[in-house]
Amino acid sequence: MSHPAKFRNGVKISERHGAGEWTLEKVCLAALMPLGVWVASTAFTLTGASYDTVVAWFASKLNAGLAIATTLIFFLFAALAWKVIVEDYIHKPGTKGLLVGLLNLVFFVLAAAGVFFIVRLALGSAPLPAGFGA
Amino acid sequence: MSNTPDSTGQDDRYVIQPNGRPRPMSPHLQVWRWHVTMAASILFRVTIGAMSIAALLVVGWLAAVAFGPDAFACIGACFATPLGLFVGFGLTVVLFSFLLNGARHLINDTGAALTLKPANLLSNIAVWGPIPLAVLAFAALFATGRISL
Repeated sequence: MSHPAKFRNGVKISERHGAGEWTLEKVCLAALMPLGVWVASTAFTLTGASYDTVVAWFASKLNAGLAIATTLIFFLFAALAWKVIVEDYIHKPGTKGLLVGLLNLVFFVLAAAGVFFIVRLALGSAPLPAGFGA
Repeated sequence: MSNTPDSTGQDDRYVIQPNGRPRPMSPHLQVWRWHVTMAASILFRVTIGAMSIAALLVVGWLAAVAFGPDAFACIGACFATPLGLFVGFGLTVVLFSFLLNGARHLINDTGAALTLKPANLLSNIAVWGPIPLAVLAFAALFATGRISL
């Protein structure tokens, strides 16, 4: 590395952006703790519920908003956590980059799909395919 | 097996990082002596993997709701089978494991509870806690008639 190492409290400071990613991962995990408890209570409420009950649950802006926040934060956390796991065990740069990129793509698509479904339900849209591919 | 990196730095315990420095390997089944803190650490990785699968199922369930009553009834029938209930119980264990083990990880990340006794206590809670919590949750689900066999 061209820059001399910097230290804080006797601990070397990250040369690149690793520390920022670590912090972001921890912020996501901290946010997922209360959201996870909410997911558990929601799963309990909606288990065995009728279709109308579930649709009415999503019509609440608070529920839909929390569901969207949970979806986005969880998949961001998953992408960062999987990146750490891949980086720990895969040391071949090409394979590692490909795997991390592939996982990012999968989590991005899942997050987008999840938010898409929640927004449709929150807005009371007609059931899919609703003209798509008709 | 040595405790210091050899000339190439590539022995059982050390790997050369992209910045050219030898670093100890991550905790791994074959490298570290078994301990509950290690079990908690490995289980958190497993839990994150399982949570990713669970999230896939939740997005599938969201899709079923968005596709209307027929798709919703179909996925509901799947989860009402014994296998579906078993998967549901597994997902419940995974969610509680994520909460307890995630909380342990966050506490340890601040540098707290890293001495032997509190580290063991938190790890034991994170490893064993999800099972009685999931059993309680399912007992409540059966008791309130939300699910039945």
